[in-house]
Amino acid sequence: MELVFILICGGLAAIASLLVIFARSTLHSALWMVVSFFMVAVIYVLLHAQFLAMLQIIVYAGAIMMFILYAIMMLNLRREQDEKVPVRNSKIFGLVALVVLFMELVMVALQHGVEAIHGPITDQLVQAHGRVAVLSNFLFSDYLLPFEVASILLTAGVVGAVVLAKRTK
Amino acid sequence: MLEYMTILIIKTLVAFAVSLLIVAYSTWIERKVLGHVQLRHGPRRVGFHGLLQPIADGVKGFFKEELIPDNADKPLFLLAPIISIAAAVTLIVVVPFGGKVHLFGREISLYLTDLDVSVLLVLGISTLGAYGGILGGWSSGNKYGVIGGLRGTAMMISYELSMALAVIAVIMVSGSMSLVDIVNSQAGMWNIVKQPFAFILFLICGLAEINRTPFDMPEAEAELACGFNVEYSAMKFALFFMAEYCHMFVFAALVTTLFLGGWHGPIVDGPHWFFLKSFLIIFFCVWERSTFPRLRYDQIMAFGWKIMLPFGLLNILLTGLWLLVF
Repeated sequence: MELVFILICGGLAAIASLLVIFARSTLHSALWMVVSFFMVAVIYVLLHAQFLAMLQIIVYAGAIMMFILYAIMMLNLRREQDEKVPVRNSKIFGLVALVVLFMELVMVALQHGVEAIHGPITDQLVQAHGRVAVLSNFLFSDYLLPFEVASILLTAGVVGAVVLAKRTK
Repeated sequence: MLEYMTILIIKTLVAFAVSLLIVAYSTWIERKVLGHVQLRHGPRRVGFHGLLQPIADGVKGFFKEELIPDNADKPLFLLAPIISIAAAVTLIVVVPFGGKVHLFGREISLYLTDLDVSVLLVLGISTLGAYGGILGGWSSGNKYGVIGGLRGTAMMISYELSMALAVIAVIMVSGSMSLVDIVNSQAGMWNIVKQPFAFILFLICGLAEINRTPFDMPEAEAELACGFNVEYSAMKFALFFMAEYCHMFVFAALVTTLFLGGWHGPIVDGPHWFFLKSFLIIFFCVWERSTFPRLRYDQIMAFGWKIMLPFGLLNILLTGLWLLVF
């Protein structure tokens, strides 16, 4: 039963992604991409990975596609002149945030408070702790290093994008 | 199995009937309260104090002429209101109206589902719902519509972030992403006491998300002649209208659930507290609409990115610190 649904959703996702390429208007392509992302999220739900499904919807179908739609719609219009308003006190706030973050990091490191769950993800484990709890436990214990490396990479990407955008001005 | 299915179907029907009734009557509340704030009476003609007005409006919507502009993108034009209302109504699935009660010798929970990612579901589906307004504006081939849609997108992106940050602080305090668990964790003390900043943040961002007045950029009547829904008529317009009020009800339910203790209250816990608090929040939405003027577009953007976002991040930092120390 589940397999049938997964096949249907997979097929729909594949058709939608083909339509992304073959759709005439750019906006229609973007919309087919939303459909494709949504279908992948449905497949995640059918595989009992609800957390991943929700992230798929929020991050891909929601945020990223919203940005792409915005860019497409914006290109049809004339560009508005955006004025530069300097953020006051941003350095002070940044410094305070940095100090607080660093203190939290040190305190967490001193406490060793996280009790990790080890071993493979089984049904009993999921039943006892809930899906999100199991996933986050693995993410913040066994896979902490890849997780943090990925977050630093993403931050570097954001900083890089800002630098590139500023250079063209 | 059959019994389970029957209970589930009955529960679904009741939950949706009650919610849609509230949606219909929050339009009445809005017109009545706005009327009295502005020293008018509001609707009075249909029924006692205009109580049948929402039904009369619905019937009117069915019988009006439907127009589709020539240069509209027809499939999208038809799809947009459907996306809007479908997403709004889907959100009712996770609203916890009450705890478990004994009815006819069975234990029945007064919510449809309890996922351990309910909060994320609400955030995700409400973003998908915003596509309705944006596509509606774009597909009607009207420049006011396009500008309304664009503004809607920009505002959605900006305020969704701060809203999520406010919710994260609540999740940190409650230790769960399930709405039922969050309500249960507030049995002793409501989250509004533990997280006053997150409450203010969520309230303001929520008003922006549901396009209420200080933030009603997508449809700003005075500038955009109603913005994204300018070309819509009859039932298609009514669907947009219903989606908006459905979002308002879900927003009120979320504030109640996340911050005001859900169905918990003095004396007897139960759904009556949930509905009382939700109606207070709906009243607040109407009240602030009659009080605040509309902000300018650049002010809204500056407010979202330069005040709400850093504020939300700071709140998470402080919550983390608080959780570590105590």
